[in-house]
Amino acid sequence: MPTIITCFKWVIDEAYIRRGSSGDLDFSAVDYKISDYDRNAIEEAVKLKDVHGGTVASLTVGVPEATKGIKDSLSRGPDKAFFAADASFNNLEPSQTASLLAAVIRSFITPYDLILCGEGSSDLYTQQVGPRLAEILQIPSISFVQKVELKDGKVVAERRVEEGVEVVEAPLPALVTVLPDINVPRIPGVKDTLMASKKPVVTIKKEDLPPFPAPCMETVEMKAAKMDRSCEKFGTDTAEIARFVDVLRKKALI
Amino acid sequence: MSGIWIIAEKKEHALELLTIGRVLAAQMETKLSAFLWKDQNVPEDYIACGADEIMLAAPGSEGQSLDAFIPVIAAEAENNHPDAILFAATARCRDLAARVASRMNTGLCSSCTSLAYDAADRTIKMERLAYGGAAVQKVICKTRPVMVTIPPGTFEQAKAEAGRTGIQRELSTPAPSVLKVIEKKTKVRETKDITESRVIVAVGRGFDKKEDLDLARKLACALGGEIGCTRPISEENHWLPEELCIGLSGVQVKPDFYLGLGVSGQVQHATGIRQAKVVAAVNKDENAPIFSVADFGIVGNLYDVVPKLLEALKRV
Repeated sequence: MPTIITCFKWVIDEAYIRRGSSGDLDFSAVDYKISDYDRNAIEEAVKLKDVHGGTVASLTVGVPEATKGIKDSLSRGPDKAFFAADASFNNLEPSQTASLLAAVIRSFITPYDLILCGEGSSDLYTQQVGPRLAEILQIPSISFVQKVELKDGKVVAERRVEEGVEVVEAPLPALVTVLPDINVPRIPGVKDTLMASKKPVVTIKKEDLPPFPAPCMETVEMKAAKMDRSCEKFGTDTAEIARFVDVLRKKALI
Repeated sequence: MSGIWIIAEKKEHALELLTIGRVLAAQMETKLSAFLWKDQNVPEDYIACGADEIMLAAPGSEGQSLDAFIPVIAAEAENNHPDAILFAATARCRDLAARVASRMNTGLCSSCTSLAYDAADRTIKMERLAYGGAAVQKVICKTRPVMVTIPPGTFEQAKAEAGRTGIQRELSTPAPSVLKVIEKKTKVRETKDITESRVIVAVGRGFDKKEDLDLARKLACALGGEIGCTRPISEENHWLPEELCIGLSGVQVKPDFYLGLGVSGQVQHATGIRQAKVVAAVNKDENAPIFSVADFGIVGNLYDVVPKLLEALKRV
């Protein structure tokens, strides 16, 4: 029966980011969440378990505050969680995250059959952690997957590419990154949340892991994207609708 | 040794990369090399369009996955020390780029929207979108080679120039990958490509049921445009095909006129309409984020407003 690892990132919910007056980003009112597509990865892992049995472990690397994310992940169905936590595991770049995930998997969750990740994180969306992790572990990876099955020691996946869909097969262990439309992630109920608090969590300290690499990239600037629009409002009575249509006509749009 | 490399599967993407590759190579006073797969490409075309050197990889055999070429690319890069490798940000090449970057212990700027060489500190400054498009992140890569994936359509295709010369060399054939492509299903497009549409009426969650999309279709027809949608409409409701989903992870559109109906305007979607000339929206929630990224907004229920708009348009 397969052992499935599902990796997730605890990220800032971008809906709460405000644009500061000088074009900077205002993070003062932000909340955190499990990165959107990682929820699809967790859901898919649990669905595979429903078919094949086995165990599902959720895994994240992050700051100690991400423990909320660990609980959230467990309320979505995995049997246990692994949490590499340290205050320095903040603003990690993909090469570092992949390196730490690989170290945890090698030391604590081997052997395994399948690793599932979201195709990209909803904060930086570099789409690198999955394939980088597979490269470090020297296992095959299939990205941008819309359907996944386990058969006879192999993973068979539908990968979406520009020309359509490729059905790809790889021996296990393997890594798959999933697209958001692979499933609809469950919304955990009260019972799920209560059950989650009883599930085992293995917390791994920085000292338990080999040193992780220095960053390759440096962010030299992060500013709010400009969307300068005139933001003129119209009402819904006939005169206002006529005025709206008139504006469009003057702009030669109709 | 040094140089700028470009890697793309399709000729049109390779030509786009040659355009920016040429600029970087000139500024950095180095050569431009193109990595090509032998079967589908005429190397001379790429030399005419700006490449100084062609690296010809063995054609991928039937069912062969691109990841077979990871060791070939990495070994070539280790021997030739390119300054930068530019990949087309297509599904297969994004995957390939991330694995090559990992193997070479270097950084990768994904989905780079603009890049420029800064002679003052001899870095390549690269911009990309972050936080669903709410922010622009500018990065440099401190390790070599600098690796980048560039979305198709970011640069113009390079044009052939007479009299250009370049060298060609063949690379070793890789061992087959354990990953096998067992079937290819080519997408049959059910709808028009909206990335080229002049007018787009976008459908959002404000619609109660699939049949009601006829309202949007009628309006699109009256405006001479096509319909598009937000992610929940294609992904959760499956009311429209995913190629009509506008947003950071869908299609990015650049119409003269975009009209959102019942579209809340979450940042991922708003990013996809950034290049629209004029943005208008109808939404009953006056605090919907769409209004802050719209030129013209009608605060009202689309079921009330759209028939009125259709009526008013008849009189134009």
